[in-house]
Amino acid sequence: MSTSVGSHDELGRAAELGSHEPPARPQGIRRWTAGGWLRVLWVVPLAFLATTAAVIACRVAMGLDTRGWDSFVPNGDFFHFNLADLQPLIVAWTTLVPLAFLAAIGGFDYWAYWISGRPQRPEDHSGHGARSWRDYFRVNTDHKVIGIQYVVTTMFFFVAAGLMAMFMRAELARPGMQFVDNNGFNGLFSVHATLMIFLFIIPVFAGLGNFVIPLMIGAPDMAFPRLNALSYWLLPIAGLIMLSSFLVPDGHAFAAGWTNYAPLSIQQPIGNLMFQMGVQWAGASSIMTALNFLVTIITMRAPGMTFWRLPLLVWANFATSTLVVIATPFVAGSQFFIMFDRVLHTNFFDPTQGGDVVGYQHIFWFYSHPAVYIMMLPGFGIASEVISVFARKPIFGYRLMALSLLAILILGFSVWAHHMFVSGMAAWLRIPMMITTLLIAVPTGIKVFSWLATLWEGRIHFKTPMLFASGFVSMFVIGGLSGIFLGSVPIDIHASDTYFVVAHIHYVLFGGSLFTIFAGIYYWFPKMTGRMYDERLGQIHFWLTFVTFNLTFFPMHWLGLRGMPRRVSDYDPSFGTLNMIISIASFVLGASTILFLYNMIVSWRRGEPAPGNPWRALTLEWQVASPPPIFNFDEIPQVVGSPYAYGTRDARHAVLRERETETAQPAEPVEALH
Amino acid sequence: MGLVAAVTTVVLAVVATAIKWLPDSAATQADRIDRVYWAVTIICVGIFAVVAAVSVYAVWKFRAPPDDWEDGSPIHGHAGLEKVWTAIPLALVIFISVYSSYELSKAEDVPLDHPVVHVTSQQFAWSFSYPELGDDMSLGELVLPIGETVELDLTAKDVIHSFWVREWRVKQDAVPGIHTHIVVTPTKTGTYEIICTELCGLGHAAMRSQARVLSASEYRKWIEQQKQGAQAAAMPSTGGKVDAEAIFTGSTGGCGNCHTLAEAGTKGAVGPDLDKVLQGKSADFVHESIVDPNAEIAPGYQPNVMPQDFEQKLSSAQIDALVAYLVKAVKK
Repeated sequence: MSTSVGSHDELGRAAELGSHEPPARPQGIRRWTAGGWLRVLWVVPLAFLATTAAVIACRVAMGLDTRGWDSFVPNGDFFHFNLADLQPLIVAWTTLVPLAFLAAIGGFDYWAYWISGRPQRPEDHSGHGARSWRDYFRVNTDHKVIGIQYVVTTMFFFVAAGLMAMFMRAELARPGMQFVDNNGFNGLFSVHATLMIFLFIIPVFAGLGNFVIPLMIGAPDMAFPRLNALSYWLLPIAGLIMLSSFLVPDGHAFAAGWTNYAPLSIQQPIGNLMFQMGVQWAGASSIMTALNFLVTIITMRAPGMTFWRLPLLVWANFATSTLVVIATPFVAGSQFFIMFDRVLHTNFFDPTQGGDVVGYQHIFWFYSHPAVYIMMLPGFGIASEVISVFARKPIFGYRLMALSLLAILILGFSVWAHHMFVSGMAAWLRIPMMITTLLIAVPTGIKVFSWLATLWEGRIHFKTPMLFASGFVSMFVIGGLSGIFLGSVPIDIHASDTYFVVAHIHYVLFGGSLFTIFAGIYYWFPKMTGRMYDERLGQIHFWLTFVTFNLTFFPMHWLGLRGMPRRVSDYDPSFGTLNMIISIASFVLGASTILFLYNMIVSWRRGEPAPGNPWRALTLEWQVASPPPIFNFDEIPQVVGSPYAYGTRDARHAVLRERETETAQPAEPVEALH
Repeated sequence: MGLVAAVTTVVLAVVATAIKWLPDSAATQADRIDRVYWAVTIICVGIFAVVAAVSVYAVWKFRAPPDDWEDGSPIHGHAGLEKVWTAIPLALVIFISVYSSYELSKAEDVPLDHPVVHVTSQQFAWSFSYPELGDDMSLGELVLPIGETVELDLTAKDVIHSFWVREWRVKQDAVPGIHTHIVVTPTKTGTYEIICTELCGLGHAAMRSQARVLSASEYRKWIEQQKQGAQAAAMPSTGGKVDAEAIFTGSTGGCGNCHTLAEAGTKGAVGPDLDKVLQGKSADFVHESIVDPNAEIAPGYQPNVMPQDFEQKLSSAQIDALVAYLVKAVKK
């Protein structure tokens, strides 16, 4: 059933189907006016100057002081200006310059053609496919190209945020201050967490989903290819805004933690604005992708692909996208309120003017608790795919697995205040929130037990993806159980805001999310690149990561319960030895990532060519060539059964037209399959 | 598989009990929280043992030989098992919820007539005031009598802080604009560290103070001393000898938490190094820097970090002594 079609043959095939050749690239002066990097080169500086001029003109017209402008003049007194005056400029820049960039690169200019009455450019998919590495740096509407763009971009931010963790561990290796000052340290952990959450875990799942979901449901692309490209290009913008917070004068980035609690965040230097604005772009990106996933999953499933035949990865992304669409506007709102308090002098969170300090936390966590599931559910999906394929068994209790995802989705909205048991919120709210929090253990438990039952009587192949998926199950159990401790109000009173929480969150997001991300990347690497990764390096990578991950994070449970608060650059000398051990382990853990990156880069260039279906999997993405043809399927596949029918002879998930048959007997009616 | 489960349980039980996970308890609230902690630990060790045993056994037993092309058994599910592993966790979490709620309500029980201590936090210091000593007298340390249930009434002046004494297992954010409460019944005399656990800015890691628990008779004596001290402070001329270095390093002034001063042996890095910035400065300058820190900010530092209420917190005799001490200390 697998096709052996090479990519050259595929181009010929697509030509038959219709236009696929990219439009001729513009020549001469038009290279500077057509969408692309050359247009960015002049449009972005122009937008920057125009924005600056507009803000200054407004301030002059309104009779406000313009010292923000003066501080650009190098007069030797640079650092002594009141930098707060730069705030309106920074807000204007981080709002308008990115829009100009998006329009200039060609990801957000189609509406301008319509407005100005020029001929519009219908999306004819002519830009699909990447023909050279350069195409990955251009706006492209092909979900497979966008998926890879997402994964590679997020890996960059993963490495950047990981390096910040290394600096933190260097500082924490010994009590006292060694490498950074207090503000530097606060900046490091704040940016580390923010990049990991908003620029790595959430979008890397969106990237994997982007590549895989249309293939899995038998669709030629996502429902809204242009929106898809746009949501990708918002991501580097968000990341660069956040990273550039290190560059603002009296910088040290934003240093109020990724939670950015008011009123500390309002009191912070201007670097904090970069967090508030960066989150808006990352959030917008994530909402657009989620909408795209929802519409794609609901409307573009192949014939026969009922909801009860969807692979669990698709179910997981369906639940995640629903969470994103409902919850993300809340974090956007919370950061807008902070920005308004700073720039417009509103008083949402100023207690002396009737503001409500605890109110910030309610809004923030109403997003940020569901965000934990946004960062976990796609991982559940990946684990289900990988475990079923490598255990050669149907996933145990498929329907309950899907339903428990929905149970987590619904319960996930009713637990946010468990982050606030000691915050001073209404005391009565603690008990109901404790009950809903602990209830989430039930659907989560169902998932864990079902994965274990899937292993039972399987024939397990421990390839790298399977190692990471099983590593995920065991580490996630530890993270889940420490979550029970934190969910119980009395224990949380003692353990909250300590290293116990640091341990818990890393067991969930590193041992949980990141392990499934590694599993997913190894698993789909052959499909994405058409080449196999190096299995031996992959295995070494897993064991190094698994061992040093536990050495790094398990002792933190003890540190926290014994009395080490989190977010401190200095600590009681009696915790010195253990912190040194943790730091050494964390350096090895960091170094193991080099192995992973080396494996990915070298295998992408020189790995063994991958067959269409190296894992003998049943789901649809493995039934086409690696990498898949430009429009995924020559003919829409017909889905006829479960995606996990391993162990049943000749069981089929879907029927695809055999290429060989088609060329041999072109007159054979394919409709017979439908 | 039973063997694997037994071994895992024993190993986990040893890890859970042989290692001292919690600091010594020094309050009735801590005893209650510890009981919940151990109940949850027993349940979690049990669950983890089952999971670990099944995984280890499955990995060992069902590993496919190389070049194996067979599939596993086509088991799609089992309604009975699925009911069991829905029902048992449900029962366990209901038990944990009920038991946690019970111990929580008991831990927060407070007699109708109980002493209250007002706790005020600010970047980066704690101050405490006792209604019986008058509201305008604020102290740098918390002193409580043993065996009495006391309510701490917390608030914050600038940003959110959090009050934590690990031996008491009590923690509560101090929030600007509202009052929050802690109930604690100390059961052991001694000195305990008060740790700020909510990120509050540059000096967060250094924001520590201390709590002393005294016997009932010592506590009464201490209260009397404070009353006399308050009267003495009200009459400046009678101010006795003040130990300026103790104010600098101890929790009364708390200066050393943030400032480096070679003479006092402090190495704080939140604020400017006093050996450098006070070099050659007049006593007037030093005085102004203490009572009105924003008047002149050392290059590279930010305003509003240092507390601005030392004039209220310290007596004028104490401030004068501190100024004299600092002027002398940086000359060396």
